[in-house]
Amino acid sequence: MCTQNEIMFTAEAKESITFTLNNKEYTVPVVPGERLLDMLRNRLGLSGPKEGCGAGECGACTVIFNGINLNSCLIPAERADGAVITTIEGLSEGIEGDLDPVQQSFLDHGAVQCGYCTPGMVLSAKVFLDHNKSTPVTRPMIKEALSGNLCRCTGYQKIVDAVYACAPVKGDPEEEGEV
Amino acid sequence: MEFDIVGKSTPLLDGLEKVTGRARYVTDIRMEGMLHGKILRSPHPHARIVKIDTSKAEKVSGVRGIITGFNVPQHKFGTMLQDWVILPNDKVRFVGDEVAAVAATSEAAALEALELIEVEYEVLPAVFDQEEAMSPDAPLLYEDKDDNIATTFQVERGDVDGAFAESDIIFEDDYETSQVYQAHLEPMAAVVAPADYDRLTLWLSTQVPSMSRLRYAEALGVCAEDLRIIKPHVGGGFGAKFEYKSHILAAVLARRTGLPVRMVNTRDEDFIAGNPRVPMKIRVKLGLKKDGAILAKDVRIIAGNGARTVYGPAITSTACYRIDSLYKVRNVRSVGYTVYTNMIPTSCFRGFGNAQMHFAMEQALDAICHENGLDPVEVRRINGVYPGYVSIHGWEIKSCALQECVDQAVEASGWYEKKKTLDKSGAKKRGIGMALCNHVSGNRPFYRPFDGSSALVRLTPEGKAIVFTGEADLGQGLNTAFAIIAAEAVGLPVKDVRTAAVDTDISPFGLGSFATRATTIGGRAVYEAAVNLKEQLVSHIAKVYDEKPENIKVRKGEVALEGKGETLPIFDVMQKVSFSLGGASLVGQGSYVPDTVLPDENKYGNVSPAYPFACHIAEVEVDTETGSVNIINYWAAHDVGRVLNQQALEGQVEGGVIMGAGWALMEEMIVKEGHLVNPKLHDYWLPTSMDTPIGKIHSIFLESVDPNGPFGAKGIGEPSLNPVAAAIANAIFDATGARIKKLPISPDKIVGALVNKKL
Ligand code: FES
Ligand code: FES
Repeated sequence: MCTQNEIMFTAEAKESITFTLNNKEYTVPVVPGERLLDMLRNRLGLSGPKEGCGAGECGACTVIFNGINLNSCLIPAERADGAVITTIEGLSEGIEGDLDPVQQSFLDHGAVQCGYCTPGMVLSAKVFLDHNKSTPVTRPMIKEALSGNLCRCTGYQKIVDAVYACAPVKGDPEEEGEV
Repeated sequence: MEFDIVGKSTPLLDGLEKVTGRARYVTDIRMEGMLHGKILRSPHPHARIVKIDTSKAEKVSGVRGIITGFNVPQHKFGTMLQDWVILPNDKVRFVGDEVAAVAATSEAAALEALELIEVEYEVLPAVFDQEEAMSPDAPLLYEDKDDNIATTFQVERGDVDGAFAESDIIFEDDYETSQVYQAHLEPMAAVVAPADYDRLTLWLSTQVPSMSRLRYAEALGVCAEDLRIIKPHVGGGFGAKFEYKSHILAAVLARRTGLPVRMVNTRDEDFIAGNPRVPMKIRVKLGLKKDGAILAKDVRIIAGNGARTVYGPAITSTACYRIDSLYKVRNVRSVGYTVYTNMIPTSCFRGFGNAQMHFAMEQALDAICHENGLDPVEVRRINGVYPGYVSIHGWEIKSCALQECVDQAVEASGWYEKKKTLDKSGAKKRGIGMALCNHVSGNRPFYRPFDGSSALVRLTPEGKAIVFTGEADLGQGLNTAFAIIAAEAVGLPVKDVRTAAVDTDISPFGLGSFATRATTIGGRAVYEAAVNLKEQLVSHIAKVYDEKPENIKVRKGEVALEGKGETLPIFDVMQKVSFSLGGASLVGQGSYVPDTVLPDENKYGNVSPAYPFACHIAEVEVDTETGSVNIINYWAAHDVGRVLNQQALEGQVEGGVIMGAGWALMEEMIVKEGHLVNPKLHDYWLPTSMDTPIGKIHSIFLESVDPNGPFGAKGIGEPSLNPVAAAIANAIFDATGARIKKLPISPDKIVGALVNKKL
């Protein structure tokens, strides 16, 4: 696992890059100076990663990059070489695939309003849950895990509830509010 | 009355595409040949444009069009005042003012061209504070005007001076509310493409598709019919997404180049050139009887309009007198100035001036109670309006559960107990504060020609329904609310109803989402359309099945033919009905025109068909050493008329309370000499999950069943925010004795107040 900073600043020149995106292999030519967010949106046709700020401040562009949730607006596209990337489109397959439990929980709990933050929120939640499969999860832990993803609509309450409901092992439900 | 869908929790019907990332917003639209538009903005708060040279910029490879004030028409247009031009050729009036726009084949080329546009400015003296801008020697923003006062609103009723003379208590104080940024996660965005018949198609992230169409037609010098506006998913609005300059610039560039043009604000641009909340300096004078009954109210407001008018004047007038329908005061005087400054143009933000006035009024009442040993709950009870009350300005309160909101919030919070027992002994002190709230559900003077809405509900040969409306879902769940209304009224499962995206070629006219009107007025139109559809459906079933209309019942997607003792799925029935009509769908049409009036020249007349109310109570903990404030608990009791969707209502309240808490405690646009110092989400201190008291915002809903709203429903969007800043301020006062009257209530202000008062 590497940090956002390492990913941002250790690029080396190449003509094309190969990576796994949503379980499929891609090889694409390098466009100098391109951000991963732009490659995903403009060249690979994805609409899930959103641009809310372009400055690493809102989390709308979150992708899962080698197992961690990162802001794709801060990642040079060529850093994707060899990476395994999941966007929201990778959580459920096409229109026919089942929803990931986190997606379903967001829907059921009313954790979605305008939806602009939702893909990023769901992916950050997903990473958090994947890393806490056996740890008792509390709401303060969820708040912390989602603190890089801004939502202006919901006031976060229903989002945190939606994630809590998905935790395989639940910690003290009273810690910061009842179920 | 028992409902199948109304009152339950219905997850957003368009939630699936949002959680899967498939939902398309304007920012997601890509088209063959699409150009990228970028705007050159003024670096000066006030300057004369001496000359603009675009020759170098034009040579940049990929540039397809450049517009400036010297190659576009110079006619004036606007929203409330005629102070807009497409691009100016005389002056720039705020940092961020549009000077030129470029369309190029790539964003990089457009940005490169912007760099190469040479503008010669002659910098002029500028004025930033709205009160200073009123002074006779302040620099003038518009030379054809005598001063910087854009508008003055004045109203006086009853015998104000006489009532003050009769008052036992006279209170006067000053409050100041801040200019804050809506911070919708999707920035302002437009994609405009030339279309057949010499038309333009505009995909807009907007709250007001139909109204934008009228204004943009005026700006472009075309007929409204020449513009087709499509509103796909919108990533939040909160008042920001009204008529907007960059939409017009994109349209001009699309016409000039003959190609689609995408114009999306960067976050910085959204910060410096959006339309944030109108800042106000509010002086409140109140006269009361010994028991706390308000006899007289005198208000003076100086509001910052910024450098051109969006909806500032209407927001100031709202601040001046809307609250006179919350309390039964009969002697009132208000004057409100909306003043030009060399600042970003300000406009609507959830609460529309009423939120600003709530910050002042609800703190004033709290202070009065404290100073005179009165019970803030009792004082609000004796002054609060009731069903059937007609305000001094002729506003007719029909449904009203204000008193019940107070009862329930007081009880749920344990108010009286907490007043006595909250711990104030240590450095961390607890306190509890209350604020009431009123609002409108529609505001007749907002669009002068009329208020109202119309809708179509189409029932397909498969028995599924589509609602067509011109009212705009911004993510608040309006499309789902409309589906609930139509489904309940026709008798269909809600999953079989959807609301189409607004498309002015297809959708009926809808003024849009503002003034907390869309659910009430738009929803009532949907209800009427659904009822009309149901009548047609029943009469066709009667014919096709040879059954008496009174024996036909449609419910949950099933049709009972009671005379025949048969129940059939709507699918089968609609197949037959439709085939008997040559494959037609049934189309119900409905309109709702509220029984409101455009206030006369004395500002008299009922402006809204329904008035929502609320009582909020905040419990906070203040660290008196650091000045930081934690919200421990928050109760929000709302008279919503009728709960249409429990979960979505809670979402509105939770979002509104956190947004209000951000306004109260954190958010601040720091402006130095007209330059915004912190145009970044982090530096601006937008609330994150860490700032939110998860599980501690308690929504309480009261159903007063309004006679005008659909199934009795009134609006919720703005009332959820209006009282928040005051409730928190009052709680901070209760905890510490520090009364902060200027937003934001930042830690330094609290600590400063405590030091000054030696509290
Ligand atoms: S767009 Fe990447 S963090 Fe906001
Ligand atoms: S749902 Fe709108 S920003 Fe989160």
